[in-house]
Amino acid sequence: MDGNAIAFMGAGLGLGLVVIGAGLGIGKLAAGAAEAIGRQPSAANQITGAVNLPLFLLEGVAILAEVFALLIVLLK
Amino acid sequence: MLQHEAAQHAPEAAQHAAEAAASGKFNAGETIIGHVANSSAEHPLIHLPTWMGIDFSVTKHVLMLWIVATILFVAVTWMVRRYIKQSPDRLVPRGSMNALEAMVEFIRDAIVLPNVGKKWVRVWTPLLLTLFLFILGANVIGLIPAFDVIALMNHSFLHLPAESFFSRVLHGGTTATGNFNVTAALATITFFAIIIAGVRAHGFIQHWVNMVPKGMPWPIYFLLIPIEIMGMFVRPFALTMRLAANMTGGHIALLAILSFVFIFAELFGRAAAGIGVGLVLSVPLAVGISALEIIVVLVQAYVFTLLTAVFIGMAIHAHH
Repeated sequence: MDGNAIAFMGAGLGLGLVVIGAGLGIGKLAAGAAEAIGRQPSAANQITGAVNLPLFLLEGVAILAEVFALLIVLLK
Repeated sequence: MLQHEAAQHAPEAAQHAAEAAASGKFNAGETIIGHVANSSAEHPLIHLPTWMGIDFSVTKHVLMLWIVATILFVAVTWMVRRYIKQSPDRLVPRGSMNALEAMVEFIRDAIVLPNVGKKWVRVWTPLLLTLFLFILGANVIGLIPAFDVIALMNHSFLHLPAESFFSRVLHGGTTATGNFNVTAALATITFFAIIIAGVRAHGFIQHWVNMVPKGMPWPIYFLLIPIEIMGMFVRPFALTMRLAANMTGGHIALLAILSFVFIFAELFGRAAAGIGVGLVLSVPLAVGISALEIIVVLVQAYVFTLLTAVFIGMAIHAHH
């Protein structure tokens, strides 16, 4: 098993872990938002607005991890 | 021993790659990268001189930047002029001005005002509107396969000479914001906007003082100040990578799915296999991913603008 194989495995494994983390985080965010809207439907707009920002920050983290994994694979 | 095996396999691998490239076999990786990355730097579209170490030659992404800027400038100024030319006491928007007004109101009321505060709305809305419309325009134009249609026409009946401008303009991807240099330039604008917002609101020295919270025991500042300085640079970097990676990722996924057609056609040796896979698998999946891409395009423009507004707001209201 040469160094490249270990690098590819590391990139793939790391990316998978990051996707698990991002999926869990965004899921929790969506669940909290849905529950809050269920409790007070008149505040739906505000809750959506409050959810938007952390959602995209978290998605950005996952995308950053994708970029670094690509760098590992392409730069050897 | 691993080195010996690698050395043994290297010439075989190189020979294999040379054979594959020479025999016209479909190379999925190359095709995908060719459709997403910038056109070649050695053969630019318009060759301009190198000044102070920066090569000013025009490549595909630079051309797309100009096209997007021209379209936006002409469209917006034409719409607004037509609107203003009505009698000055009854300004009623008609037609496309409605859409533009809806967009401006959305950005001003939902993005700029809650973050920046009433005092600074009129100062920062133009910048954020420009960022939003430019990123949205560049993203959307990347979704329209105009250059691919021209390439198809070129291949079937136009047959333009291979070195002319129109042939060379077909190489490379159309999404200017998929290039991280473009998004880095936009993030640099954000970087300076944050500093200028803080300096205008609080004065030059007070802006830097505001970056760390007050009233902490003094040893903590040795930790906090480097973290805040790093944060100052990491936020625009994250903006850069978020936009660039989202744009290229969608296009790479779309092209990879469409490449299945050619891979299967070569695997089974006949075109019918490729067309079959295309009809059943590739085209429906590609339609789905294109629909997702439309959402991603809107969302990424919104997120870039929203985060810029949030950071500017943080610089202005540093003392909650």
